[in-house]
Amino acid sequence: MKVTVDRTLCDGNGVCMGIAPDVFDVDDDLTLHIADEIPDDPAIQAQVRQSITSCPVLALSLEE
Amino acid sequence: MVATTSQTVVVAGGSLAGHTVVAELARRGFAGDVVWVRGPEGTGPYSRPALSKELIQGKVTRDDIRLPAPEAYGLRLRVVDHAVCARLDPDDDRVLVTSAPGARGEPSDGDWIPFDALFVCTGTRARLPEAFAGLPNVHCLRTLADAERIRERLPGRPRTVVVGAGLVGSEIAASLRSCGLPVELVVQGRLPMDTVFGDDLGQFCLDRHHAHGVTTRLLTTVTGLSAAGPDGPVVLTFDDGGQTSADLVVLGLGAVTACEWLRGSGLDLSDGLGCDEALRTARPNVFAAGDVANWRHPVFGRRMRVEHWSNASAQARHAVESWWAGQEGREPPAFAEVPYFWSDQYGLKYQMVGHARGHDEVSVERTGADGHPFVTYFREGRVVAAAGVNAPRAVMRMKARIQSEGTTTQGAYAG
Repeated sequence: MKVTVDRTLCDGNGVCMGIAPDVFDVDDDLTLHIADEIPDDPAIQAQVRQSITSCPVLALSLEE
Repeated sequence: MVATTSQTVVVAGGSLAGHTVVAELARRGFAGDVVWVRGPEGTGPYSRPALSKELIQGKVTRDDIRLPAPEAYGLRLRVVDHAVCARLDPDDDRVLVTSAPGARGEPSDGDWIPFDALFVCTGTRARLPEAFAGLPNVHCLRTLADAERIRERLPGRPRTVVVGAGLVGSEIAASLRSCGLPVELVVQGRLPMDTVFGDDLGQFCLDRHHAHGVTTRLLTTVTGLSAAGPDGPVVLTFDDGGQTSADLVVLGLGAVTACEWLRGSGLDLSDGLGCDEALRTARPNVFAAGDVANWRHPVFGRRMRVEHWSNASAQARHAVESWWAGQEGREPPAFAEVPYFWSDQYGLKYQMVGHARGHDEVSVERTGADGHPFVTYFREGRVVAAAGVNAPRAVMRMKARIQSEGTTTQGAYAG
């Protein structure tokens, strides 16, 4: 599982970080950092999928 | 899952919560029929937070903010646009679906649609006092059409008065000012967003408006609006006897729940649609999600409604889980997600987690190179909320703390 962000869309609102804090991290310059390795944990992977569908600017996408 | 292909789910409401219910049913492989009654707009679901931010500023268009079509997920889905759920039968599991007021085509008596489960996601609409309705150059901002009407006016650089300085009013004032419009902001309370943020961030927000050239009237209520016609100014009168005129007035007076159609159904409509902790209403197969849902939050030990993006999608998923669990004979879990929202004003990101209402103490720190206020809100000695400016890590760290303190002391501050 790999997540990519469209940086022209991402505005650092932090919705993904609220859902999946182990994977998404928005720094104080509002830049999103995504974990290189997404843990092989079904709960976290479910959070990641929720983050993608919950992104209000539709900036996240999944590469399985 | 004991679901059969003969089951029918009705989803009432065409915005994020309704969209997410449909997407979640698809994700779970629901094999029955879904009837999605999407309301009067006819636009399909879109990202509402963008309306008062990027869309009125012309940075994005309606095509940029459309949500993905769940029609693609392979559900047996019937989408009904320009139509509303008009009544829920008090005795039978069926809803009356009629064409939306003002919709084109032949008026009809509507159709009664039987359901095995009903998800109420009808949300809220902008609060608009009757005396202010229908005036030229006076707009609310709730829908995509509202936002596009406002945006069309920007090239003329109208002198704009924004009435109401809650989250939406404050954001509209900042967005329009950022487009170069002369903006006056009418604040009912002492400070913008003070009912949300309290004094420290409210003062910070006021200072930002002033620094960017917005003029403000504090502790002021609009008592009258009169319009001279499509091309004339709007005259506003205030409760202190003052008066001003504007080319464009945008009302940000809050929202009212859109659940009057459920009157007579036997459900609790005292503030939105009352549900239990698992988002079930008094009728076992009727659920609520999004702005309309009033539930008892187990972390805070009190009933609330939350009118924010993250809540709508999380509750929608949860309401489907509650129904699913009931079908499988499991006890559905409580919805315990800590509320979260953000606001963009003048290039700054305000963020808040938790539920600050009823807080009795705050602590204020300064964060970042610019010394923005970071506020932690306490109630009876426990952290109930936190808010900051361009400080997402600090805000989100507090989310886990609010969740765990509330959970470990469940009921300690029930109110």
